[in-house]
Amino acid sequence: MLDNGSGKTFSGASKYVLDEELARIVNISMALEMPLLLKGEPGTGKTMLAHAIAENLQMPLIVLNVKSSMKLVEALYQYDTLTRLNDSRFGDSRRDVSNIEEYIRMGKIGQAFTADTRTVLLIDEIDKADTDFQDDMLDVLDQMEFDIIEIDKTIRAKHRPVFIITSNAKKDLSDPFLGRCNFHHIAFPDPKMMRKIVNVHFPDIDSQLAENAIAAFYRLRELDAVEKRPATRELLNWIRALNMDPDFRPRDLAKGDVPYLGVLFKKSQDYQIASNSVRRRRLF
Amino acid sequence: MFIDFFYKLKEVGIPVSPTAFLTLHRALDKGLVQSLGDFYTASRAILVKSERYFDLYDQVFAHYFEGAEMPEGEDGYALTEMARMMLDSWLQDPKTLAQALGVDESELSKMSPDELIEYFKERLREQTERHDGGGKWIGTGGTSPVGHSGYHPGGMRVGGVSRNRSAVKVAMDRRYRDYSLTGPLRQSMMGEALKRLRHLVPTGPKDQINIDATLYQTMKNGGEIEIVFERSLKDRLKVILAIDNGGWSMDPYIPVVQHLFYHARAQFKELKTYFFHNTIYDYLWEDPTRYKKPRRIDEFASWDPETRFILVGDASMAPYELMATDGSIHIEERSGQPSIERLRFLARTFRHSVWLNPVPQGSWGYTRTITLIRQIFPMFELSIDGLEKAVEHLMAD
Repeated sequence: MLDNGSGKTFSGASKYVLDEELARIVNISMALEMPLLLKGEPGTGKTMLAHAIAENLQMPLIVLNVKSSMKLVEALYQYDTLTRLNDSRFGDSRRDVSNIEEYIRMGKIGQAFTADTRTVLLIDEIDKADTDFQDDMLDVLDQMEFDIIEIDKTIRAKHRPVFIITSNAKKDLSDPFLGRCNFHHIAFPDPKMMRKIVNVHFPDIDSQLAENAIAAFYRLRELDAVEKRPATRELLNWIRALNMDPDFRPRDLAKGDVPYLGVLFKKSQDYQIASNSVRRRRLF
Repeated sequence: MFIDFFYKLKEVGIPVSPTAFLTLHRALDKGLVQSLGDFYTASRAILVKSERYFDLYDQVFAHYFEGAEMPEGEDGYALTEMARMMLDSWLQDPKTLAQALGVDESELSKMSPDELIEYFKERLREQTERHDGGGKWIGTGGTSPVGHSGYHPGGMRVGGVSRNRSAVKVAMDRRYRDYSLTGPLRQSMMGEALKRLRHLVPTGPKDQINIDATLYQTMKNGGEIEIVFERSLKDRLKVILAIDNGGWSMDPYIPVVQHLFYHARAQFKELKTYFFHNTIYDYLWEDPTRYKKPRRIDEFASWDPETRFILVGDASMAPYELMATDGSIHIEERSGQPSIERLRFLARTFRHSVWLNPVPQGSWGYTRTITLIRQIFPMFELSIDGLEKAVEHLMAD
């Protein structure tokens, strides 16, 4: 067993199927106190991993969903000028207008730093934001502290959070940023792994349905020129849909009758390509 | 420890940093690495920061710890060349070669040239292995750092070969081959390539007022008005795609390129595809047979000069085809202008133009016409990386 500094070792969670390689990397990153950067196709469970770690190690999870226009300072803290202006005008609140600190609200990173226990901080889809965002974050990651300029106060991390950072590789991340992270790319699960994942979500699924659905799913993923290939999430939803349909028999899938393609393919072009090839039975 | 390994990674072109190497040692010192499997994952997570290099990493890992052959680089090239030479001599004198290899001549004559080359390579590999198999890293009592008697001060001890095998085997699987971004574009990379093309959208000047941001900034300034501008959307792009569909060497790439742009067409205002053979003279053709619908090059001057002009071809031909006034094989193309002048004309007409070449960039220097054409059009490799750079170039001001 690896010791990762917290005396706890990550070994999976109730709704997450973990492969051994990833578990090792998570534990090493925690022990080295380095952020873990996860890349991979959408739907390979990058975000789910952070939830699973939090659940498994019983730490609170704080999620920072990065948006394209986001500046780092928003993730650290916010100075609520508008409320202060309002209070100074009308003076009907119990806040002390001359004390700026009362108008400072912690952002997600700030919350993780000031929390009383060690937390898991998920920074989701960091590549959405400008490179400035990453560059500004370098300091915070290095020092584990940040300044609130308005009140000239430094916030230090009480407990170093477990950083999980995900990226969909829309943009390349900067080299200095990469240098501070450990990196893992989650490959798309193979059919065997997928079977396990399906079983975790649908413990009493008919095995013929599961097998046929997974087989059809992988054949559909092979289609050329599909822009957004269906991922795990789509498969799970699709199986849910198939399960609900009283008229559906798993045998039909093997025969080439594939219902509810819209659950799997969400771009109209992709949907068309998929339904054409299903109709032509080229796939089966 | 593992300094050779580190330099080997650097040598093959993985951007590894010394800091990361030290971090790896920190992990070793802490006793976090207890098997070669651990080492495989730990050093990859710490040293390699992009999945593009995972495949290379796997190869180096397998090479370093098991002595697997390195397919990249000069050795692989030499092997192919050698096999080619053997094929040549086979064609000239099948009997002698068959005898030299110790096989029946009729066995070989059943194979196609490609199969023959593979077969020769296989034989050559066996030869090298038999003669200098000493390069393996895992053996008993050797100089290897990771053998049975290998010992690491941090406590890493490799139990036996069976344990190593698994990590090496994992590495040898080369699971990440598809993520490697060099090498010509294949159908399976379509999704990635499409994402690169997504950047082929215009950005206008910052000339629209963002009211919300203006209000916010003004409040933040305590009433001092600050106006925030943002970019207005501009019209979508027109794109001309000119494809060399002449020689068989281009055949595998044409459908890929056409599909690629066809699927991205929604983001363009207009997408025109034309064809040519080797290089452009007086005409480009709208039909792939280059027969029915010729378009005069001179007419292109009336196109919007902001149109993005993308040429796809191997740019490899006899120099006279490019330089001579009568270089064209088509009899009707006799305007007296050499092709190179036509290319210059197009490059002048469309200031945003690129040439995508499926020939690997490393060998461009060997072909005279590639060098010449590169002086006219910025040339990029027809790979995911090249495509990304090409799009960047097309969108630059």
